[in-house]
Amino acid sequence: MAANGMYGTHVETDILVIGAGAGGLVAALSAKRAAPPGTRVTIADSWKVGRSGHTAFSNAWTVVVAPDDDLDSVTKEIIAGNDFIADQPLIHRVLETSWDRLKDLEGIGLQWPRNEDGSYYRRPTRGLKDTRVMYPVGGGLEFSWKLKRGIEDEGVEILDRFFVTGLMKGGTERVTGAVGVHSRSGEFFAISARATIIATNAITFRTGFVRDLTGTGTLLAYRAGAKLRNAEFSYLRPGTPRFYFEGIAFAIQDGASFVNKHDEQFMLSYEPEWGDRADVPRIARAMAMERQKDNDPLYLDMSRIADDKRDFYFSSTVAWMQRFLDKLGDEARTDMFGKTPYYPQNQMTKMGLATDADCRSNVPGLYAAGLAQAGCCNHFAGFHIGMCIGTGWFSGQAAVRDLETLPPPGLDQAEVSALYRETRAPLDEAASADSDAWLLDFQRFTSRYDISIWKSAERLEEALATLAGLSQRFAGLRAPDNHELVRIKETEAMMMAAEIIFRASLMREESRMSHFREDFDFRDDENWLAWIDVHESDAGPVLTKTPIPTPITAPGAGA
Amino acid sequence: MIEAIDLEKCTGCGICDEVCPADVIHMEQVALPDVVEGLGREKWLPAIKFQQHCVTCFNCELFCPEGIVDVHPSVKNRPRPW
Repeated sequence: MAANGMYGTHVETDILVIGAGAGGLVAALSAKRAAPPGTRVTIADSWKVGRSGHTAFSNAWTVVVAPDDDLDSVTKEIIAGNDFIADQPLIHRVLETSWDRLKDLEGIGLQWPRNEDGSYYRRPTRGLKDTRVMYPVGGGLEFSWKLKRGIEDEGVEILDRFFVTGLMKGGTERVTGAVGVHSRSGEFFAISARATIIATNAITFRTGFVRDLTGTGTLLAYRAGAKLRNAEFSYLRPGTPRFYFEGIAFAIQDGASFVNKHDEQFMLSYEPEWGDRADVPRIARAMAMERQKDNDPLYLDMSRIADDKRDFYFSSTVAWMQRFLDKLGDEARTDMFGKTPYYPQNQMTKMGLATDADCRSNVPGLYAAGLAQAGCCNHFAGFHIGMCIGTGWFSGQAAVRDLETLPPPGLDQAEVSALYRETRAPLDEAASADSDAWLLDFQRFTSRYDISIWKSAERLEEALATLAGLSQRFAGLRAPDNHELVRIKETEAMMMAAEIIFRASLMREESRMSHFREDFDFRDDENWLAWIDVHESDAGPVLTKTPIPTPITAPGAGA
Repeated sequence: MIEAIDLEKCTGCGICDEVCPADVIHMEQVALPDVVEGLGREKWLPAIKFQQHCVTCFNCELFCPEGIVDVHPSVKNRPRPW
């Protein structure tokens, strides 16, 4: 590191990975292993590498295609399960290489539970026939920690508590690194990099089950010229604000059912083939429609589960979830098996960077991994982290391959100066911290079921008008300290994302996957087997339609 | 949400600050009562600086070597769709 006299610290590296969930950690490992000796790889995270990201809070269930599995069948059912909003060659590659990645992860010390005969313990996942998923011993926390130790051993440099506030281009057409602040001290950093990999998750509005995650990196990439994709799709699922519960699929297999206030099992009337076993976005849609019919409150009736199967729901392989259940004690049993209202929840967008099958964005020097990459719009249980591992690996490899065309960039002082001023603009020691109140108003309308799940042109237009009003209020927010500065920057990215989401939702005049339009309640393959890509212009977001190639399987071909 | 840290028993190791993903806990230097008059003492202790931003992840409670952090298992302020 060298002091950058005027503004803070200047760091130089070859490959910069931003974000340390599964995608970022694997990208760093991949890049370091593929690169010639002496190549510098740096991973930065807004919190602590190895404890961070959605991954660390999850079971880390991941899809693995074993040598004896039917790769073609698994690929096709996952593409169909995405309603064909899928980068088919990329998904095929992720699955094809998943066994090799499993072995790489074992090589850095991760273990996977085995059956008595020595084979891996694997199980099917929701809504898919041939796909099998498995989880590492210790869940996501162990997964992240072992990877952190692994990349450290290989010489990856780690920057903790680095919150990125902008990407640099150094007067060129390529991305040349990032700037940001130390989230505790406020120290300003400029990191020059030949290649930059964004792995900051898809953006959330702090409504998911890991509410410190906001995924601002995709919006910084957008501002640097990158195309975003899949903004109209979301991670929809049923849930209850009363407690965390990740076992809905198992509960339904054990006999639980969604019921309305009349005790009617309503899923069968919406999904005659699947009923309660339908994929979670379909359940969320049905719940929204039940609400529209005044049939709420809605419940997941787990009293239908036999007594001898209930203890299963009070144990978890995730340490924090086990502690949560232990501390709730009898209350957990009452809540879980009693009448606790359930809601459809929109937990995060599926908006990520549009890339090629090597995870290169349209901006030279900029790559995407993990959920910051828009390879598909439905991650099922296990495909989530499977995609993160795959795209992490490919992005790291591609960045290394491209290094010879990406010479070390210089530091553009005028650009750094502008980014420094922009980063610190909200700071005002005398101000009060008001972003929470703003965020609550933002969440109240963006979480509305008839905007975030069951959409219509009229309501989306109304949402855009509400957002415009909130944007004016946002301009007045100031930060008395670095904690609030980071919150304001995260909130600003959410505001930008919301506009893109509403506009993309308006444009897609059909219903598909997790995008449901009340006024276009049908799937339209003729006109909408296409991505909506979004790029920034002086006049605001520009939306374009990109046909989706179907080299592996097309609608109607069968999975 | 984090409720309390028993500072009487706290060794000041700082692990709770290190493992908090939401920047809620900050280690701060605090003055202790004089044992010998005129000789000031200081100690680093955790402060719950931004309790309202706790995400109820239980990391601080799980990783605390003294077992003196208490997180209440309620999930607050989660927006609802209706």
